[in-house]
Order: sequence, then C-alpha cells, then structure tokens
Amino acid sequence: MVTETPIGKIRSDDDPRVLLDEQIGSFEPVPPYPPRTERESEFYTLGDGEMFLNMGPQHPSTHGVLRVVLKISGENVVDLDPVLGYLHRGVEKLCENSDYHHIISQVDPLEYVSSLFCEWSPVMAFEKLLDVEVPRRAEYIRVLTGELLRVASHALFQGWMALDLGGLTPILYSFIERDEIVEMLASITGQRMLFNYFRIGGVNGDVNHEFMSRLGDWMSRAAKQHETSIGLLNENEIFVRRMRDIGRLDRDLALRMAVTGPNLRAAGVPYDLRRAHPYSVYPELEFDIPVRGTGPEGGDALDRYLLRLEEVKQSLRIIDQCLHNMPDGPVMAKLPRLLRPRPGRAWAAIEGPRGLYGTYAISDGTDQPFRMKIHDPSFVHLQLVVQLMRGNLIADTMAVMASLDPIMGGVDK
Amino acid sequence: MDRPLRRRLETRFANELTGPVRQRHDATEIRIGPAALTSVMATLHDEPDLDFALLADLAGVDTGDHMQVVYHLWSAKTPDWLRVIAEPLPRDDPRIPTLTGLWPGAEWMEREAYDMFGIVFEGNRDLRRIYMPPDYTSFPLRKDFFLPDDAARSPGGGVRHVERPEAPPAVAAGSLRRTPGA
Repeated sequence: MVTETPIGKIRSDDDPRVLLDEQIGSFEPVPPYPPRTERESEFYTLGDGEMFLNMGPQHPSTHGVLRVVLKISGENVVDLDPVLGYLHRGVEKLCENSDYHHIISQVDPLEYVSSLFCEWSPVMAFEKLLDVEVPRRAEYIRVLTGELLRVASHALFQGWMALDLGGLTPILYSFIERDEIVEMLASITGQRMLFNYFRIGGVNGDVNHEFMSRLGDWMSRAAKQHETSIGLLNENEIFVRRMRDIGRLDRDLALRMAVTGPNLRAAGVPYDLRRAHPYSVYPELEFDIPVRGTGPEGGDALDRYLLRLEEVKQSLRIIDQCLHNMPDGPVMAKLPRLLRPRPGRAWAAIEGPRGLYGTYAISDGTDQPFRMKIHDPSFVHLQLVVQLMRGNLIADTMAVMASLDPIMGGVDK
Repeated sequence: MDRPLRRRLETRFANELTGPVRQRHDATEIRIGPAALTSVMATLHDEPDLDFALLADLAGVDTGDHMQVVYHLWSAKTPDWLRVIAEPLPRDDPRIPTLTGLWPGAEWMEREAYDMFGIVFEGNRDLRRIYMPPDYTSFPLRKDFFLPDDAARSPGGGVRHVERPEAPPAVAAGSLRRTPGA
C-alpha cells in the first residue's frame, strides 16, 4: 500500500488508492515532469522572446474539449501542441465487451454531429464478417438518410466557421436547416441526435409518411435555402479576406498527412470513396465530385469552406435520385438474434462529411468482436493543425482549425 | 478481389512475405515480419504500378499470444484495400519501426497504438501517451486489462479525473481471450 501522497494530488475519500488532482481546472502550460520525447523537449524549450499560451480545454471555439498549448512570439504562433483525451471514453474497449447489435449504440456518440456515418462503417464491416446481403431498399434508405445528414453537417460547419471568425448570424440559419433535417430523421428513428438507426443487414424500420411529407416539403425549398446561406457569407468581404491564404494545404502534404474527405479534395486530389471505392448503391447514382485547390500551392481555408458548399448541392442531387429510384421490398435481411460470425477479419470504410470513417473488426467466433478499431477522420485532421499553423497569427488558429472541421467526440473516441 | 494484384505482390515480395496472400471481399491481405516493414511500405508507396499513396488506418492488435500492427492502404491502381499485417511482436516488449518518414500523418496513429497497447514505434519523435494521462501505467486495450464488473465500486470508476498509481496485477496466461489465427 502506498502511503506517501505525491505533490499536487489528494487521496480519494472513497478509496485511498485513487489519486485525484488537487486543483481541478488549473492548467500550467509546461508539464510538471521532464520531457519524455524529442519533440516534447523541443517544444517546451523557449527561444528568444517566446512565451507559452494555454488555450482550452474549455475554449469556446475548440468544437469540444480540446486543449492547445501555443508557443508564441508576439502575435505569431511559433509552434503548437494539442493535448487530447478530455473526451476519451474508451469506445473500442467497450465495443470489445458488447455484442454485435449493441455496438451500434456504442459508436453513435463518437461523432455527435453526423452519427449515422459512425454507425455505417461498423455495420458494413460486420456485414462482411457475416457475408450478409443487404436489401436494396435498405441501401437506398441508408444513402438517403446519410446524405441528408451530410447536408445538416455541412450546414453546421458553415455556421461554426463564421462563429469562429466572429459572425453570429450564420449559425442561426445553420441551425434552422439542421433542425429541419434532424426533425425529419427523428420521425423515422425516434431520436434527434444519436439515431441508432442502421442495423446489421439493413435499417431499423422503413421510411414513413411523416418523413416523406417533411422531406418533400424541405426539398421544395432546400436549393433556395442553400443559396440564401451562401449569400450570407460568400460576398462578405471581411469573411473572405480573413479566410484567404491561411492554412494552405497542398497535394503532397495532404497525402502524406493521411488527410481524407473534403480537406483532401480542397487540396486538389479528386479522392472520394463514393467513387474511388464504391459501396452501397452509389455506383447507380449520378453526382459530381467537386475539387478545389488544384494549383501547385494547393487550397486554403476558403477553398475548404467553398468545397463543402458545393458538396451540399451534390448531396441534394443524390437525395432527389434516391426518392425517385427507391425500390420496394424489405428493409432488413433475415438474421438470427444472436450473431456469431466465423473467425475472420474485415475492413469497411465510407465517405462521411469529414472524410474516411473506417472500421477494422476481428471476429473470434463469439458474439463479441475480438478487436474493433475505429478510424475517425477528425483525429487525423487535427494533427494537421500543427503543420498548417506554424508562422500564422493567433487569431487565425481557430479559423484554420474550424476550416478542417474536426469534432472532438471523434478525435478522442 | 483483384487477382493481378495478388500475383504482383507475390512476385514483388517473395522474400518478405511470412504467409500466403489472402483475399476476401474487397481486401487483399499480406503478412510481413516487423523488420521488413520499412522497405515493404516504401516499395508499396513509391513503385508506380503499386502506388499506395494513402494510409487509411493503423491499428494495434493484441491476439493474446503476440501483438500485431495492421495497416490499411489505398491505391488508385486497384479496387482492393491492401491490409498489411506486421507480426509477431512479443507481448512483453513489442517494437516496430515507425512509418512517420513515409507518412508523417502516422505520428498520432502510432501514438494511439502506443497508448493503448504499449507498442514502441522506433524512430517516432513524439511517442507520448495521447488519450490517457501521462502518469498512467497500464495499456487499456491489451487483453490482460479487464473492465471492472461494477464501475461504481471500482477504483477506476466515477467521473472525476482519476488514475490508478499502481500497475495492474499480472494475469495468468491461461485466462486471456485469444485468437491465435487472427
């Protein structure tokens, strides 16, 4: 039994083995222990005229609980060190201890803005493990609801982006659009945020009359509504000049940093999993892949912002086609209640609003996966902030971070 | 399933492969030893007819017997995903070379695998814990780390920032969940 209490810690009243931080909520930028890695010792050594600035973990524009230690010289960021883990829930460990049906509700809160996409890749991986054929109507419903949520997610991105630059109005319009979509989805899933809707082998319940009438109503004015929200910001000179030429990302750096999704396409790489590695019914649907920043210097924050707006138009096209082409039939494959896939491995990846959502699942023949790795695009994109921010102004840190659109729930898993 | 890719991989990496090339659904799987990792990955990335430009995922795996590091790669030259399994890494001292020279974006993925499994990626400049607190001593996704039956009563339970100062007790080798064939 340990008897000495380390400095800065107190012992829990419930269990004396547990150490608690004495002062919760105070953050010293420099850690109280010697540096453990090359990078850490380099970062925590101050040069001439430099100082540390602690930002977070409760900073309003960090899109969650993220702490960033900035090393600044005057108004310029010399280097930065993101500190993660404030939202870590151990989802992968929980998934290893849940049965296959239960996992869908475990992965839902990973990325709370677009939770259907978090469900989609595990469900696809398990279907590969089980060799299940998904009914075509279910695939169409998945694409339809997924694209609706992509529109909602990009609408929210637009509002956040403006909010991080100090504009309050667009987020109000964003939430009007998002609210219409989540209410629509709530009529078939029963939930506004964590839908828990996809099932292994299909979806939980067919589309109903309320959903269809809400969707038809929304579709009749969605394009116009989108034009309105574009007009709010795209002609705003302050917004455009703040966004231009910050956080430039070129093709080579983007690929080497393992970037995917809109951020990669805004760096000039026409890579979209819906076309590059087709899944579900996407091969049957017509849509374009917008690409920006094809020049040698790549795309900036404005390109990443504009690309997402163009993607919304393509999503509206897909939703329209889904409504017209949706076949009749069942929405669930016939499967036993208790799933025991044969031992094996499966990887499934989908294109979400932020990039590649992947799941690597290993089955050992029991009703729980032996290992489940969840790949979240926000996690990869956040480490890009370090590369893009060096030499920029402090005020631009949040703009660049917002233009990459990370969600901390996905980063911290 | 991309049969030509399988033949290309078999001829190109005849000396490095430690098992047969397997294909199922839309994935092609190769197995290599940890020592060959850097050269195999550089070939996969650089050679024009392979051209695996994108590292889609990096996952650590504890099979109960040994550790693996599993990489998923994407290339425009093939409709398949390529899964590269680097094994075996001994459970008591797992070490593997880093890929940050080829993909600097692998840095955080390697930090995550280190945090969760204790796999040491030699050459990674920033191999710190990424999710767990810096003075945490165990590796949560290893198979000898069990979830407490009752979170409310366990020393690790509760919503406050808590930590267990002592290393977890050693577990009898026979009580681990394992998949030797993984």
